[in-house]
Amino acid sequence: MQEYRDRPTKFAEPTPEEIKARSKRNVALALGLLLFVILVFVTMVSRGQLPNAV
Amino acid sequence: MSAHTDSPNLVSDEPVVLAGAGLSLAGPRDFFQLMKPRVMSLVIFTAIIGLLVAPGDLPLYNSVMAIFCIAVGAGASGALNMWYDADIDAQMTRTKKRPLPRGVMEPRTALTFGFLLSVVSVWMLGLATNYVAAGLLAFTIFFYVVIYTMWLKRRTPQNIVIGGAPGALPPMIGYAAVTGTVTIDSTILFLIIFIWTPPHFWALALYKLSDYGRVGIPMMPNVAGPKSTRNQIFGYSIALAAVAAAPVFTGLGGSIYAFGAFLLNAGFLALAFKVWRSRAGEKDEVQPESLYEVQKGDRDARNLFAFSILYLFAMFALIGVDYLLRGAI
Repeated sequence: MQEYRDRPTKFAEPTPEEIKARSKRNVALALGLLLFVILVFVTMVSRGQLPNAV
Repeated sequence: MSAHTDSPNLVSDEPVVLAGAGLSLAGPRDFFQLMKPRVMSLVIFTAIIGLLVAPGDLPLYNSVMAIFCIAVGAGASGALNMWYDADIDAQMTRTKKRPLPRGVMEPRTALTFGFLLSVVSVWMLGLATNYVAAGLLAFTIFFYVVIYTMWLKRRTPQNIVIGGAPGALPPMIGYAAVTGTVTIDSTILFLIIFIWTPPHFWALALYKLSDYGRVGIPMMPNVAGPKSTRNQIFGYSIALAAVAAAPVFTGLGGSIYAFGAFLLNAGFLALAFKVWRSRAGEKDEVQPESLYEVQKGDRDARNLFAFSILYLFAMFALIGVDYLLRGAI
């Protein structure tokens, strides 16, 4: 494995509040993306734009 | 936070842990707050009425999608507005608790969020309904962010008169989602909100005078003075009553609407008349934080502001109820 010449020696550890907020944002983003994909799919189907896809 | 330091630890293999990584503390609730949910509720309601009274049929799914996209588009404008106005929001009592002034997220996060939602809402509306509605939504976002927020708001006391247009467009977008056109009736729906906006905001500005003045926003009371503002509020209220009568002549509103609109406009005119006679906005002291708390003398302006919110909801509810009842008979 390659050795890094400028190996970082100081790490910024997120606080519990930062981790909690980031987790919430991640879940919301995942749900938002899922909703977006579902809505695009259903809308395309409702407009008859996916004739042979399903 | 940077991991680089002036004197790197070259001896120990144990990493040095710093307190906090400088990550954003913003949660989903803060992003939702960026979308101005209170404004969004009015947008959703008026868009639903526009969609309801439009002649023609739009499947239920597409109707729900249309309202959803209009709401998201409105929210996107709100986020972009908060991004641009973060500096003045931090100084105003009414807005200093918004996510950007509180420092829970970076301005570019709000910008990205708003831009992304703008693109998605316009595209999805075009996909679910038609591109006239989508074009109107794109125009609404552009007008609110560029014409109103970036250009007019800090330059002219007519800011909210011209800038009222994007707030008035949602029922027209809802209507266009069904018909694919702009008609006299959808223009009347637009005009009701457009003419309602100046007395609504100027009533607020009369009793929040120092707040706007401190951040240098040229609201009408700061520039033309409270007396001129009270005159204009009364003038716009008369114009509003005239526009509110128009649906009766085009067939958009029936007898139920005519009766309800008469009472609502009589109430609006009576309160505007009281503001006209009052000395609201004359005192320029530090004003209370709450939206509805007022100094003595400003009560009439506060009453008109509070009633104007109820007025708009009630007017559009009347148009909707009248339409449904006429359909049922």
